[in-house]
Amino acid sequence: MAVRKSVTAMTSAEKTAFANALRRFKTTSANGRNYNWYIDQHVAFFSRTSDGISFAHQSPSFLPWHREYLRLLEIDLQAVSGNANLFIPYWDWTGAASPFTADFLGSITNGSVSTGNFSPPWGWTVYRSSIATTSLQRRLGQSTSRPTATTVNSVQANTVYDQSPWNSSVSTGYRSRNEVQLHNRVHNYVGGHMGTREAPNDPVFWLHHCNIDRLWWLWQRTRGIDTYQPRTGTTSGVVDNTETMRPFATGRTPASVRDISTLNYSYA
Amino acid sequence: MADLNRRAALRYGAAGAVAVVTAAVGIQSVAVSGSAAAPQRAPAADPRDFDEVHKGKKIKGKHNAGGKHELHINGKKLELSAIETLFVPEDGSAPYVGVGFISALNHYDPVEIDDDRHKEGLKNLAKKVIETLGEFELSDEAARAHHH
Repeated sequence: MAVRKSVTAMTSAEKTAFANALRRFKTTSANGRNYNWYIDQHVAFFSRTSDGISFAHQSPSFLPWHREYLRLLEIDLQAVSGNANLFIPYWDWTGAASPFTADFLGSITNGSVSTGNFSPPWGWTVYRSSIATTSLQRRLGQSTSRPTATTVNSVQANTVYDQSPWNSSVSTGYRSRNEVQLHNRVHNYVGGHMGTREAPNDPVFWLHHCNIDRLWWLWQRTRGIDTYQPRTGTTSGVVDNTETMRPFATGRTPASVRDISTLNYSYA
Repeated sequence: MADLNRRAALRYGAAGAVAVVTAAVGIQSVAVSGSAAAPQRAPAADPRDFDEVHKGKKIKGKHNAGGKHELHINGKKLELSAIETLFVPEDGSAPYVGVGFISALNHYDPVEIDDDRHKEGLKNLAKKVIETLGEFELSDEAARAHHH
């Protein structure tokens, strides 16, 4: 059982355990997957699939797809570390605490991350990079600022989960407001590889998406756990509530991940 | 999107007509004067196109009908795709829906490109990507097409 904590609440031992598990997963498979499998899926399912479906982004399934994606990674990290309580921490980017420290995700935030847990000397090289380099890149705060608590509150105040036309142009809906105003902005705030299609090269990807998932869960507890839209499968290019989210196993639908109390993790 | 295409069609319709007239004049001048052939003229370039150096990198942008723009940085291609998306300006002005261009490198940061307020859009996208690249070049992965 993973109790997902804020970066600010992690002990030194928990930080080390998380970083070690990620590095080990870069070179060791678990449950038929390895770290680079996750990067491949992010690149592949960011695009529309050959049958015209947007699974991971710019569509209603953005939130449940990433919930399942994080759940799988957490299970795999638990397997490679042999620690059934290993958890993905969340980064509340509205607060002052940073995950970019020498003892955690690395203190270099402008250019090549050449020292620390996620540097080439420690075995962390980037995969399928659109930037011709082997080192993880960051450009923290160079193109935009972090979302403020006020912005988060305005996004959380949306009452409808999503609506037609079910893409990134939806202006009134929780999913698209979260995706555009919070999710996209933090990708751009960190910059470097976090701004690219292959963003999971940066381990902060998981901490960011963990916070996005936590915010969705907080929203669900206010607006209702069973609030996903669309409910029927008549909308082309969109995953309905009971359709499988590829590339995950058959039956991994938005409905199957709506209640995190059935998914073996919780938020502290 | 429809509006963008309509304006693009008007633009390219006009550019095409200019090119035809130029070619006809060229032939006539050869026939009348018998002098050396007039220089061959390429089809009129889009005035927004650019081929210049920014922060030590050569950026080359070409605007094509239907939003199928092309961008190369130091000779390496950056594949672009257009999405219809919500823009929420950071200055607090009203959110609006527009067409934004994304690539492998500005994947969460769509850039508007048109022939009006955002006629510098493609160049701005190139400059943004150069900030991300820093001392490095685009890899082949940046040229891979994907659909949104």
